[in-house]
Amino acid sequence: MKKNTVGSGLLLLFVAGAIGYGLGLGFDALINGAPNFSGSTSAAFALLFAVSAFFFGLYGYRGITRGLVWQVVGTLAGGLFISGIRALMGYKFSEIFGSFFFSEPAWVFGALVGVISFLSGVGVMDDWMKWVRGIDTHDHHEDEPGWEKYFSVSLDHKVIGIQYTVTALVLISVGGLFALIFRTELAYSQLQFLTTTFKLFNQNGPQIYNSLMSLHGMIMIVSILLGVSGIINYVVPLLIGAHDMAFPRMNAFAYWIAVPASVLLLMSLVLGGFDTGWTGYPPLSARAPVGVQMFFLGVFTAGWSSILGALNVIATVIRMRAKGMNAMRMPIFVWAAIATSIIALTATQLIGLSFQLVMFQRLFGMGFFDPAKGGNPVLFQHLFWFYSHPAVYVFVLPGLGIISELLPVFARKPLFGYRWIAMSSLGIALVGFVVWAHHMFTSGMNEYLRVPFMYSTMLVAIPTGVKFFSWVATLWKGKIETPTPMLFVLGAIFVFLLGGITGPPNAMVALDLHLHDTYWVVGHFHDTIFGGFVFPFFASIYYWYPKATGRRMNEFWGKVHFWLMTPSFLILTFGMMYIGLLGMRRRIVDYDAALGFDPTHLVMTICAFGIALSVLIFFINFFHSMKNGEKAEGNVWNSRSPEWQVPSPMPAHNYEVPFEVVGEPYDYGLPGSKYVQFITPTKKK
Amino acid sequence: MRHFIIAGVLVIAASFGIYFGLASVDMLPVQASTQAVGIDWMWDIQLMAMSFLFALIFVPMLYSLIVFRRRKGDTSDGEHFEGNNALEIGWTVIPLFVVVFFAYLGAGNLADTLRADPDAMVVKVTGFQWGWKFAYPEYGFESKELYLPVDQQIWLKMESNDVLHSFWVPEFRPKQDLVPGRVTELRVTPNLVGSYKVRCAELCGTSHAFMESPVIVVEEDDFVKWAIEQQALAAAANTPESQGELLVSTNGCVACHSINGTTGQGPTWLGLFGSDVELTDGSIVVADEAFITESIADPAAKVVKGFAPVMPLYPFTNEEIANIVAYIKTLK
Amino acid sequence: MTHKHDKSSAFSQGVLIFVYLAVLTAVEFFVAVKLNSIQIMLLIALVKAGLVMYYYMHIYKLNTSDEGDEHSYSFKSGTNRIGLWMFLLSDSFVFGGLLVMRFNLLGLTRPHLDQNLGLLVTAVLLISSFFMNRAETSIEHGDRKGFVTNIIITLILGIGFLLGVVAVEWPRAIEEGITASSNTVGAAFFMMTGMHAFHVLTGVIFLLIVLRNGAKGLYDKHSYPVEAAAVYWHFVDLVWIFFYPALYLIGVVAG
Ligand code: HEA
Ligand code: HEA
Ligand code: HEC
Ligand code: CUA
Ligand SMILES: [Cu+2]
Repeated sequence: MKKNTVGSGLLLLFVAGAIGYGLGLGFDALINGAPNFSGSTSAAFALLFAVSAFFFGLYGYRGITRGLVWQVVGTLAGGLFISGIRALMGYKFSEIFGSFFFSEPAWVFGALVGVISFLSGVGVMDDWMKWVRGIDTHDHHEDEPGWEKYFSVSLDHKVIGIQYTVTALVLISVGGLFALIFRTELAYSQLQFLTTTFKLFNQNGPQIYNSLMSLHGMIMIVSILLGVSGIINYVVPLLIGAHDMAFPRMNAFAYWIAVPASVLLLMSLVLGGFDTGWTGYPPLSARAPVGVQMFFLGVFTAGWSSILGALNVIATVIRMRAKGMNAMRMPIFVWAAIATSIIALTATQLIGLSFQLVMFQRLFGMGFFDPAKGGNPVLFQHLFWFYSHPAVYVFVLPGLGIISELLPVFARKPLFGYRWIAMSSLGIALVGFVVWAHHMFTSGMNEYLRVPFMYSTMLVAIPTGVKFFSWVATLWKGKIETPTPMLFVLGAIFVFLLGGITGPPNAMVALDLHLHDTYWVVGHFHDTIFGGFVFPFFASIYYWYPKATGRRMNEFWGKVHFWLMTPSFLILTFGMMYIGLLGMRRRIVDYDAALGFDPTHLVMTICAFGIALSVLIFFINFFHSMKNGEKAEGNVWNSRSPEWQVPSPMPAHNYEVPFEVVGEPYDYGLPGSKYVQFITPTKKK
Repeated sequence: MRHFIIAGVLVIAASFGIYFGLASVDMLPVQASTQAVGIDWMWDIQLMAMSFLFALIFVPMLYSLIVFRRRKGDTSDGEHFEGNNALEIGWTVIPLFVVVFFAYLGAGNLADTLRADPDAMVVKVTGFQWGWKFAYPEYGFESKELYLPVDQQIWLKMESNDVLHSFWVPEFRPKQDLVPGRVTELRVTPNLVGSYKVRCAELCGTSHAFMESPVIVVEEDDFVKWAIEQQALAAAANTPESQGELLVSTNGCVACHSINGTTGQGPTWLGLFGSDVELTDGSIVVADEAFITESIADPAAKVVKGFAPVMPLYPFTNEEIANIVAYIKTLK
Repeated sequence: MTHKHDKSSAFSQGVLIFVYLAVLTAVEFFVAVKLNSIQIMLLIALVKAGLVMYYYMHIYKLNTSDEGDEHSYSFKSGTNRIGLWMFLLSDSFVFGGLLVMRFNLLGLTRPHLDQNLGLLVTAVLLISSFFMNRAETSIEHGDRKGFVTNIIITLILGIGFLLGVVAVEWPRAIEEGITASSNTVGAAFFMMTGMHAFHVLTGVIFLLIVLRNGAKGLYDKHSYPVEAAAVYWHFVDLVWIFFYPALYLIGVVAG
């Protein structure tokens, strides 16, 4: 296959998907006597085959395709290996193969082997293997020109940043698509299409709802983690004047491990799904179908991406800043990246551990959370939230950092209270470590813990408030311009404000006894996440797009995107909060018609499609502008930041001429002041 | 200075506007317990705080956007102004006091909602996949509806032996999870006669959405009357068939099994006894007493074709199973 | 500045720290058997951890400023050192989580295990750390032969520890009725020792790699990989300093 195009990729996707499906049906017939057209085996094969075939058509047998093919082979080989052992141990045929094809231990082992195979297949560990054998490697390796470098291992932080960002966008679409499906079901009371007789992937309608809802949550969260890494990876080395990250190979590794993780998350849907919510509380998760194991493994693997990425960021910022860039002269986004990375580096281990314990409980009958064996289900919640609360600040801190970074550029005024904003990021991160139990006010944990956790939770409002007040003060008496990135920044402040002020009511224990597990909470966190991450993420894409491509995204369609997304989103979340207060529970496939929520739900569903449409517009704009956008090679936003002082797209090795920091980063309106100075000003372009 | 005054006035106006606007919308369900009074009071305070904070940030932001926007043709920068430590300290310390004060209020508020009445009536609640069961130890019977006398504190002692559930009657406000392996407690004092529903608020699997049971608050006299009736019913239900029927309805089997021939999560029971049942391994068995007994005692042992092995294991005694089988036999 | 001791003073320091650690471990054992005072045991564990981190893992080296430009070996080693320590910080949250799990589920009871066997494997691991330290000092002073001998001893002891836990302790525990699926005591015991053993195993692999490349003379000039292996190895020891009392000493026997 010579012509590698999206077209041949899609063609192969369908062909191989059909072959996989047929193969699966055949196996199903062999194992269970009759083929199950909506079963898991056929779907699992179809998924595995189709994904790798798509990239085969798009890209040929190298890079990501090789990784995926190896992952498929590795998964099947690992599964067969365990199945073989089980056969030798004298298990019956029906205990080795079943309606999910492999048995649970075989799938788990297969998935692990698959991940490792992917990493070897894609070649991201090649250099390390050479080191093991005592062979030195070159630090600089040249990438292929054009788009093709994005599909195989590259050590360039700019390429990796874009890989992360695009993967995040793909996952947002997948998660968003899931949301659209289940929102459609919710548009009216009663079960419309996800009925009890509906069958897909061995699940009936309500089970599919639960799987989609849980996966929506986790895929979105993973996509945010990747998006965060994307922006940080692309921007931080540029902002501090480094030629790359401190550990380029580990950087590539951290990105590539997220790809098999995403495949595993999708596998969880077809392997029977799981109906536990993204939180995966046992004992329910200890009883769910095999899918939950894929979910655990997927999150566990994605967690490593987060941990290693964070490690890299901290090391880079400590070691590789430009001359003269002391702590109080770093661009403010770098502070946010540091604060985020501290959380991601440490706390992430705990979600890994908590999921691992449930995994072992399922595999080996270890009774950590099984009351019958003396286990404690509430312990899981403590371990889980010890990560997952701080995790929400992993999402928002970079987002808030972007707001602080862009606001001065478009207000044409120094960032108000730089030090305070920098310190408030650290403050949020640190206080964020001691508030986790506010998710557990109704969980039956020790009663006397509730009040201290209410106090600590309320304290987070203070550093967050410092940021808000400083932003307002930055805008005050500026000369405010509102191109698309600035619109998204302003939208972010507005939406995050709504999310933020709906936090303290949750922290009031008694009130939370009413609010907990209702759509009020769902509204709260969609607001915080959109305001704290999604809006800033779009802002940063519009803002740094010219840096990465040398072209601008279309302003008009950018504004359409904003003005369609914002009102749709606001109505969606106001609706959530409103019905939540009135008694709409979370995570239900159907609600009591007597509650009278039908009209609100219908409006919310329509708004969800509005958001989706706006995102679609964004995608078209994004891809269209790569070739056709208005050329923009200079300092598009008239920014003081170092990356805008060199031509776009960014040169391959960043700053050919190193710079030195000679002033404050945000001294807009101070004539003659400069932030950076290139060390040998003789070289002109 | 002029700007500050205008913006300040606008902030105050907007706070009041937003607060009264929102307060005029019914945003909470009917208030049907004394615990709800305190919780709603806290909600009102939070609503004020939210309105004010929203206005405090949003109004100056909007004001700047309009007043300080860049005019056409203007290429100058804004005022060079890097910050003001006094201001920063102010907006760190004042919110500090505010949040500590809120938390203090919150603690008192919590104590109010937890206040125990020594004369409370105990009701034992069992949650299971997917239904509720309520036992009245003072009267010695079980019910699938929660009848409560008005104006008396109810002390709910709750248990689950499968997964987490959460007891929530929105009109009463507070909710509490049920945790397998331990007894969790909740106190509510209904103060409004009416019928409500307890809705499980913790995801518990496939039919979580449908895990609802009626909650009926009645006058004291009516409650006693009902309780005595139930006692009598429980005593009367002593044929195996009627005992079985009671067990089936109090344990929520009907959530999955219909008795009218429609297929639900599980196979229907109508005409089950004596029929031929095909299992997932392809074999066909006759649904005799032994098969039905085994299906209840060990649901995973033989799985009926076309169904997922989702049926929970119930801690029945042999006698109880026999009663259920007797009841299923009557469904022809 | 990396202060390079001369070889003999580094050696005597190693011996001294080893003796401290050995004595502290003995005292800890004694405290457990006679007094069962958690406070004292915790204090001892913290002191041991401090000694290991300072003298064996050279935590102070993190603070050394670097000579040379961005591409020099010493600058890169400095960056690697920071990376490694951050990795260990991250990893220690796993072990912290396991300790939380253990104390939440078992409280002040402990599995019914042979305390003498526990002391024995602990001693083996501790002694291996001593030889690891010697191997590291040797290569830093260009003594390739000393390096190879010492690292082989370390490896033997490390594998001995691994076998002691997995091949001796586990079957004995199972005989006692402590199995992974019996109850939370077994679950906690196997999870903690299993996770630790997994780290020992990766450490062994790491040492094998370093041994092979070191024997070929790759580290004669640039010995950072040996330092990294050593720091990792001592970290595994560090974890055991807390796991050992948590599994074998603290509380009364249950199950
Ligand atoms: C990006 C994510 C994000 C962010 C930033 C936040 C921020 C906050 N969250 Fe949120 N939260 C989530 C994501 C987030 N949350 C998610 C995903 C869940 C649900 C998880 C699940 O169950 O699935 C959740 C759930 C959740 C709960 C549990 C609810 C329940 O399930 O019962 C609670 C309870 O306390 C809470 C509180 C808070 C608080 C106090 C803040 C604070 O940080 C907010 C601080 C900001 C402000 C207060 C506004 C600005 C401040 C000022 C203007 C200064 C002056 C302010 C005062 C004086 C008050 N959140
Ligand atoms: C990043 C985080 C994130 C984001 C962006 C979203 C986005 C959305 N979320 Fe969700 N949500 C969560 C995180 C997020 N959510 C979490 C953590 C939960 C909790 C899960 C749990 O309880 O366990 C949750 C739960 C949740 C619920 C509650 C479910 C329940 O409790 O039963 C609902 C209900 O309405 C909902 C709706 C939506 C909608 C309509 C969107 C919309 O914004 C989505 C809009 C659509 C898109 C953004 C996709 C657009 C793309 C396309 C249409 C395809 C185009 C493709 C190409 C061109 C390639 N979400
Ligand atoms: C989660 C839903 C669910 C609940 C609740 C449930 N069952 Fe079932 N039941 C099933 C399913 C699915 C099957 C078919 C698969 C199987 O055999 O396990 C089944 C099968 C059976 C059978 C086998 C015979 C047949 O073909 O119908 C009997 C008898 C039975 N259930 C009795 C009960 C009783 C008694 C209860 C309540 C105490 C109960 N079930 C509760 C889902 C449920
Ligand atoms: Cu029970 Cu949800
Ligand atoms: Cu939280």
